[in-house]
Order: sequence, then structure tokens, then C-alpha cells
Amino acid sequence: MTELVLEGLSRTFGRVRAIDGVMVLDGTPLPLGSPTVMRDAGLRFIHQELHPVRGLSVAENMHLDRRYPQRLGLGLVDWRRLNRAASTALDRIGLSRISPRARMSDLGVGDQMLVRLAGTLIEDDGSALPWLYVMDEPTAALTGEESERLFSVIDGLTIRGAGVLYVSHRMPEVLRLAHRVSVLRDGWHVSTRQIGETSQDRIIREMTGRDLSALYPPRLTGRPGAPVLEIERLTAPGLTRVSLGLRAGEIMGVAGLAGAGRGALLQAIMGAVPRLGGIVRLDDEAVPARPAAAWARGLAYVPRERRSEGLLLRKSITDNVMLPHLAGFARAGVFVDAMRQTRTARALGEEVGLRATGPGQPCEALSGGNQQKVVFARALAGKPRVLILDEPTRGVDVAAKADIYHLLRRLSDEGVSILMASSDLPELLGLADRIIVLQGGRRTHLLENHDMTEADLLAHLYDAPQPAETMA
Amino acid sequence: MMATRSIFTSAVLVAGLSGAAAAQEVAVITPYLSQPGTQFYVDGFEARAEELGWDVNVVDTAGDVGAVISRIEDVVTRGVDAIVISVDPAQVGAGLQTAADAGIPVVGMDAGSDPLVAVNITSNGYAMAAETAVYVANRIGGEGNVVMFTFDPFPPVQVRGVVADAIFGNFPDIEVIDRITPDVSDGGIADSRAQMEAVLAANPEPGGIAAVWAAWDQPALGALQAIEAAGRAEEGIVITGIDANPQARDAIADGGNFEASVAQDFEGIGQTTADTVARILAGEELRQRVIYVPTELVTAANAAD
Amino acid sequence: MTGALRRSAGIVGMVAILLFFTVSLPDTFLTLRNWLNISQQISMLAVVAVTMTVVMAMGDFDLSVGSMASLSGVVAAAAFLQGWPIPAALGLSLVVGLMGGVFNGVMVALVGILPFVATLATLTVFSGLAFLVSDGRTVFGRDIPSAFSDFARSGLPLSSGEGPALVLPNLTLVALGVALVVWVVLEQTTYGRRLYALGGNTEAARLAGLPVQALRLSAYAFTGVGAAIAGLMYASRVASANPTQGDGLMLTAIASVFLGMTLTRDGSPRVFATLAGVLVLGVLDNGLTQMRVDSYVREVLVGAIILVAVGMSALGRGSALRRS
Repeated sequence: MTELVLEGLSRTFGRVRAIDGVMVLDGTPLPLGSPTVMRDAGLRFIHQELHPVRGLSVAENMHLDRRYPQRLGLGLVDWRRLNRAASTALDRIGLSRISPRARMSDLGVGDQMLVRLAGTLIEDDGSALPWLYVMDEPTAALTGEESERLFSVIDGLTIRGAGVLYVSHRMPEVLRLAHRVSVLRDGWHVSTRQIGETSQDRIIREMTGRDLSALYPPRLTGRPGAPVLEIERLTAPGLTRVSLGLRAGEIMGVAGLAGAGRGALLQAIMGAVPRLGGIVRLDDEAVPARPAAAWARGLAYVPRERRSEGLLLRKSITDNVMLPHLAGFARAGVFVDAMRQTRTARALGEEVGLRATGPGQPCEALSGGNQQKVVFARALAGKPRVLILDEPTRGVDVAAKADIYHLLRRLSDEGVSILMASSDLPELLGLADRIIVLQGGRRTHLLENHDMTEADLLAHLYDAPQPAETMA
Repeated sequence: MMATRSIFTSAVLVAGLSGAAAAQEVAVITPYLSQPGTQFYVDGFEARAEELGWDVNVVDTAGDVGAVISRIEDVVTRGVDAIVISVDPAQVGAGLQTAADAGIPVVGMDAGSDPLVAVNITSNGYAMAAETAVYVANRIGGEGNVVMFTFDPFPPVQVRGVVADAIFGNFPDIEVIDRITPDVSDGGIADSRAQMEAVLAANPEPGGIAAVWAAWDQPALGALQAIEAAGRAEEGIVITGIDANPQARDAIADGGNFEASVAQDFEGIGQTTADTVARILAGEELRQRVIYVPTELVTAANAAD
Repeated sequence: MTGALRRSAGIVGMVAILLFFTVSLPDTFLTLRNWLNISQQISMLAVVAVTMTVVMAMGDFDLSVGSMASLSGVVAAAAFLQGWPIPAALGLSLVVGLMGGVFNGVMVALVGILPFVATLATLTVFSGLAFLVSDGRTVFGRDIPSAFSDFARSGLPLSSGEGPALVLPNLTLVALGVALVVWVVLEQTTYGRRLYALGGNTEAARLAGLPVQALRLSAYAFTGVGAAIAGLMYASRVASANPTQGDGLMLTAIASVFLGMTLTRDGSPRVFATLAGVLVLGVLDNGLTQMRVDSYVREVLVGAIILVAVGMSALGRGSALRRS
């Protein structure tokens, strides 16, 4: 049996150069730090960031890290063989519905991930199939449905005899997939246990070094108050006549499968995509369809893609926090008041539990969880009436997740209304007062969150729309 | 004796070499070094300067006239003994003033006249125009219709036209039937040809045009093309240009209608400039503000030289 | 950490250049007169580079500044030829600059053409217009009012001692004024901070409620007007105007901004860093001319120094990424 032993590695796997340590494959040490060596040794890596080449075909994306099949040895691409190899690999994980000739940009994020995975299954001129997959947060960009498809692929891989090193923040996935669990904290190895000998609580305790039994803090104040944000028959690309009313201090979850229109709903409310119809009212006053107007009226937005849509990575924490509020914190509305900005950024950083060297630290130097807290600090800087959150804990470690949940609960107790779209069902069930369910861009359910289980909610995501409610 | 001193050329990279203090330092500054004419001036100048044992620094600002001012300021700061410019002095007045304030003489190498330029060495535009105009007048026996190509917006060419006007005006039987200013944006040949074709069409009878006098070579070449294309090369229309550029020399050597042009002695201008700088450095007071270097009439007899 | 390292490497490089010239040219380099000369020599480049910083702060370029400088000069000259008074002629040039800049802005921000393509096209358009306005000729001599050309030859007297008087040149004062204005706009106003945010991440800036189109459009007005000012300064300095005389400014201005970016902490373009970049190029020209380095060797050296500086900075950033 093939076995890989890691000994005292600080960094691994070629993308980041190992500083020290050894990696032993069947008793032979592997040279560190070269992706090619890892590949030849039969290891495959699925990174969290997809980096698809959107203009190329599916088959070409699957061949990015290898030579294209050649014709006549003249360096001419043999397109037929290229597509056949891709299609064989796609079939192998049950993805025959995806054409190897399709353009990558026409695929959803989830399918792009699966295509990437299928790319590792292409057979190179008779060489052995890979036997160890390293997956870093592979479901970060996927919906529940897409994740399920990935999981069944992973099951297939393990049945075939390949090993999977699955790196994830998501407890349920780890518990569902893993045979053994290794916990790392702050770069140190804490434990490795058989799945039968551990539990979610235990893993969380080992990860954080503290007890997180109350991951989802309970509501302290009474029921939410009067309606604040009213949305009527909102229509946008991917969204059809959705209405909802958000009360003061309410947390409303937005649930749905991929493409159900969760992100579209939030973006249409913020005016980040053009509205084709409908109206958004805050305190009975219409909010124009421009992000600038939405922010000015007291709506604050945490976008789904932290790195591409949220942060100026090379800029400081202060610059990032102040971005939408520059005019409000300026002298005469024009001249920058750097002292006041720094003060505010520091105070907000403390409020959201940000761990950084100071407000001047560039965001690229922060961990994912702390980057997300910077985006939250930005949302809070303008004392918002309503928070619009798209996947607020995506790619965030458990400790930072807990911080964010406590923050959201406290804000809602203070009367801030929160509209939160998430593919993390436990998080919706743990925090939301009500959950709106979208299917195909239409509202199908508005659920009171009383003693609901994940299975109940999942059932609502899949069931057929009820005509009466779509028109609500 | 001067020639026996150690020789420094423009390739000297680092200043302050021992012995350099004894040599005279002269800076040559031009935005036009890549143009053939300027290159010949500078070659002539450097050759003579080497004989004189000077330390010459040639600065080319690659078409940037403003940078010529900057570089004049820099070499003034360095404290050179003399500056030679090859650019219109009116455009670099600020630099000339700096040199004048520092008491450093500036000599023009085909630059133009200016109160701040001690002396300008150039070819005599009046004389060149007179030479070709008289050539035309004599060749057509002092009678006939003449077409002139001139360009008054550019002063050095404008004076050529004035002289030709005067000479043709002195022959009662010569009539200037057209005085054309061609569009020079593409070099001048193409438009001159088009204009000449129009003139030919307007004067269809053989002998209706006795000569074409052009203030520089390009219109002469254009006129030649028009005449040949119209099949009227055998009428004996006399064409002259000025400057004797290689294309013109070829045409003249062919022995066709294009009969004469005038060559400037570019290297001679460079050499004379060096000699003049030497006179100034020796303390001589120059009376002339312009020194002319002789030119040469180019005909089929000597075009191939 | 690496930012500080990169910056100090850049500053060490600049000091090394200054030291080298001070030692090689002990009598002339480190004199007030020479530095006043340098300040005047780089003033036009400084104006273009500083306004280019505005556009580059948001990650764009303006390739049309050189031909806009040429156009502005010949427009003023053409107005002089028509007998316009000097202030009117200058005003006309600045308006042309503003309109050209706004046109660039419309093409980039509203129509959505890549800045490189849009301004490459307007480079040609402005250059063509300059030839049209001037008829391809150089306007000089009596056609240029002496009050206009005298401006570049005078300044604030600094001393009344012997020899030629020391003056702080007017062109230097203009450049300082423009730099100060742009510095205030970029560093001290919310407008400027928003431009930097656009440079950081346009999509994040849009979702955070910034008026992206208006910001982008207006930033190009700065380069248009800056180029026009530089064109007028150049025309005044050479007491003439021709349709290509400003063309060389564009590449040098962009190079200056890049040099400056190697000096800033996060590698973003900043006004004073750009001025430092301009100064490096100016000092190189001045010092190497005084050391009588061949003008073509000088160009090679300047290019090599830009490569070394920007290359070091890129390597520094690369290692920062690998470590994160």
C-alpha cells in the first residue's frame, strides 16, 4: 500500500515553498517545493481559488497543467484527442452532461470546480492515475447541491482506492467524508483521530482551543419590531417579482440552490445590478438603484466574493473600512481627516474582533476571517439601518465565524435589520428569525424558523413552487 | 604645434582626466543629428577639432528643441570654452542668454542669425538661388515661360524665391506664368507633381513652358515626373533645383530635363565652424555675423562625383 | 516590511546617484545655480507626470498627453497669429486640453474602451489636429509675442550679488503650483482617496457605492489640462510651437510615475514619489551631460535605471506574496 508521510513540514505542496521538513513517499523522500515532482509522484491538488481560464474550452482548461495531445509531432494541437481525453475523464466522475467543447465561462462556479477535478483524472500516456488528492476548501464556492455532487465524486475516488486529503472549515463535510481527522492550529499539529473517536464539538474545541458550544448565540431581546425595508415585486436578471418585508432587528435568511437568485436578490436591492421592475423602500422612501444611493440611505453590503468584490487587498485596513464613507468622515465634505479615519477604523476593528497589527496593515496580509471582519467593519462604519450580507462566513475559520455570529446577534438586538443569504444551512437555522426560500429566481416560501431542522429546510429548497406564494 | 597635443574625442566618457585641462572644450548641441546634413556638418567639425586638439562633446537631443536649452544650460554649468549649435537660435533663446551671461561664445553651424550668436556659418542662399536662376535664364536664351516652385513660410527657402524673382524680372522676355507653393507634408514630390500636371494641361502647346525653377530639389523632381509622364520630355523644358540631394544628383546624371542643382559643402561648413571657433577662442573680434561657405553648381558634368 | 525594504532600496539608489555626481562634478553639480537649472529643465515633465499620477492612481494610463502638449502649443500659437491677446490664447489652449481630457474620459468611462486603446487613438487624433492647426509648420519668431516667451526666461530673483543673478524660474513655480494642487486633490480630498480605491479594486469600489464612471471620467481631465499646461510651458521656453514638440513627454512621464511607484509603501503612484522620479531623470540628464557622456549612451543608461528600479520593486513584491 502506498503511504505518504509528512514530517515537520512548515509549508507544503509546491504552491508555497516548504521551509523545512521532509515528505516521504513509500520510504523515499520527495524533493520539496516543486509542483511537477508532486504531479509525477501521483499527487493532485484542488485549490480553493479556481483560476479558470474563462475564454478557453472545458477540455483546454482540463489540460492547462499538461501538454495538449499533438498531431504529427509538429506541435499542432490534436483537437479530437484533446476533447476525447477530456470527455473520458468527465464521464469518469459522472459529468457526461458537460461538453468538453463548452466554453468555461458558460459554466457555473460549481461545474468549473468539478471540471478542474475531472482534469486530474486525465490519463497521461498510460501513466498511473493519481492516488492522492489534496483539496483545499473545495466547496467554498459551491452550493449545497453542487457540494453533494462533489461528495459523490469523492466517494467514487476513495472506492477506486485513491486517498483524499480534505482541508475544510466546514464541520458537516468533514464528518460526512473523512475516515480520519487531523486538526491543525496556528500552524501546529494538534491531533489525528479516527472519525469514530471524535465529534464536532471535540474538533471545534481542538481547533479553537476554547469551547464553542454556543456557536449561535440566542436572541436577547424580544420579537423584531416594525417593518423597515420593504421590497415589492423586485425583478432583475435572474430574479422575478420577489417581495419581502424586513422588520427592525430581524435577521432574515435567504436560502436557495445555486442559481435560485440569492445573490441576484441582494445585488438588486443594493442597485449593483440593473432593476427591471419593482421597488425597494426604506422607511417608506424609495431607494434608487445605485450602490451609492443605497449606502447613503443606510443599507450596507457585504459582497459574496471578499477578494474580488470586497477588498482593496493592497490597501490598508483604514482605507478599506472608510471606502464608502469618505465624504461622511471628511472636513467640509472634501478634505480627508486622516486622524479621524484611523480612530474610527481602530474602534470598528475592535468592535468586530479584528486581529491585526494596526489600522495601517494592508488587507492582503490578513487571514480570510480577518479580511471578512474588515468588510464587516466597513459595513458598520456608517451606522447602517440594514445589513445586506451575501455568504457572510464563506471561507472563514470557525473562531472568526463565531465572532461574526455574535456580532450579528448583537446588531440585531440593537435594532439593525439583517438580510443574510447563505448556502450554509446550519448558519441560517442558527441565526435567522425567518427564512425566505428562492427557486429559479422566484420566492417559493417564507418560513418562520421554529424548531426547523436542516432536513426540513433542505426539503423546502427542492420542493415544487407553490403558486399562491410565488405571487405574494 | 596644436596638432601634437593629446587628442580627445567625443567618446571620452569621464571628465577630469589629467591633461584635459589644457585642451579647449567645445560642446556641439543639435536636435537633428540623425539628419544627413547635420551629420556631415558634425563630421567636418569633429575632423577639424581633432586636428586642433580639442575636446569635443556632441549632444543630440533627438528632435527635442526644449532639451537643447537644457543641455546648453548644463554645459554652461560645466564651463565649456565654446558652444556650437545647429538649431534655430530663436527657439533656444533662453539657453543662449544663459551662455551669454556666463560669457561663453555660441557659434551657429547653419543655425540662423541672432544677436546672441557670435557668428553663423552657412551657405549663401541668395547666391545659390542666383546661380540656378541665372542658369535657367541663360539656358532658355532669356525668353520663354517659367514655372517657379517656392515656399515662403520657411525663411531660408523664401530668400531663394526672392532672388529668383529679381533675376527673372531682369529679363524682359521671360514670363513667370506660375509661382506654386506645394504642400510639403509628404515631402513635396507628390504634390509638386500634381501641380505641375495641372500647369502642363493648361499649357498644352509644345514650347509653352520653357523652364521650371524650383527653390529646392523635391518640387524639381515632382515636375520632372509630371513632364515625363505627360510625354513632353522631348520639348526641352529645363528644370533646376537646389541642395543637390542624392535623388536629384541621379536625375541630373541621367541627362534628362533636370539639368542643374546647387550643392552645399556640409563638411566645409563644419570645418569652417571649427576654424571660426578657433579664431574666437584666440581672442579675435569677428566683424561678420555670417560666414558663407562656397557652394557648387551640380550639372551632368559633375553630378556623379 | 518588504515595502520598507523596497523603499529604502529606492532611496539608497537615488542618494547613490546624487553622491556619484557630487563626487564626479565637485565644482558644479551641488550648486544652487545648477539645481535651479534642473528644476526648470524638468518643470514640463513634472507637470505631465504629476497629472499622469492622477490617472495612474486608478490604474489607468493616458498615452495622449504628449500629443496634447504639442496640440496645446500650436493652438496658442495659432491664436497669437490671429492676433488674440495672450490670456485669451492661453485660455483657449487650456480649454482644448480640458476637452481632450474629458473626451478621453468619456471614451474610457462611458463607452468602455480600454485606456490603452482609447488614449492611443486620441494620441493620433490630437497629433493630427496639431498638424492641421499648424499646417505642419513651426510657428516662431515675431509670431510669438515676446511677453509669452519672456515668461520662461524670467522668474523670482533670489540674489542681487555679482555675476548673472540667481532666479527661481517661473516654469519651476508653475510646476510646483501644479504639483501642490494635484497633491492636495489626491492625498487630502475624498475625491483623491476614491481614485486610489478604484485603482485598488474597481468592482469592490462600485459595490461600496463609489460613482465609478464619474470618477474615471473626471480623472482624465487632469491629464488633459496638465498636458496643455506643459505644452504652453514648452512653447514659452522654446519661443515657438510645432506640431510634434511635446511628443517626447508621454513616455518619460509614465516612466517617472513608475520610478516613483518604487518608492511608495504599497507600490501605488503618489505625487511626491512621482516628483522624485522626475528629479532622478532630470538629474541624470543634467549630470551625464556635464560629465560629457554620449547622448545615446545616456538614453541607454536612463532606460537601464528604470528597468533596475522597477525590476527590484517587482522582485520585492513577488517575495512579499510568496511569504504571505
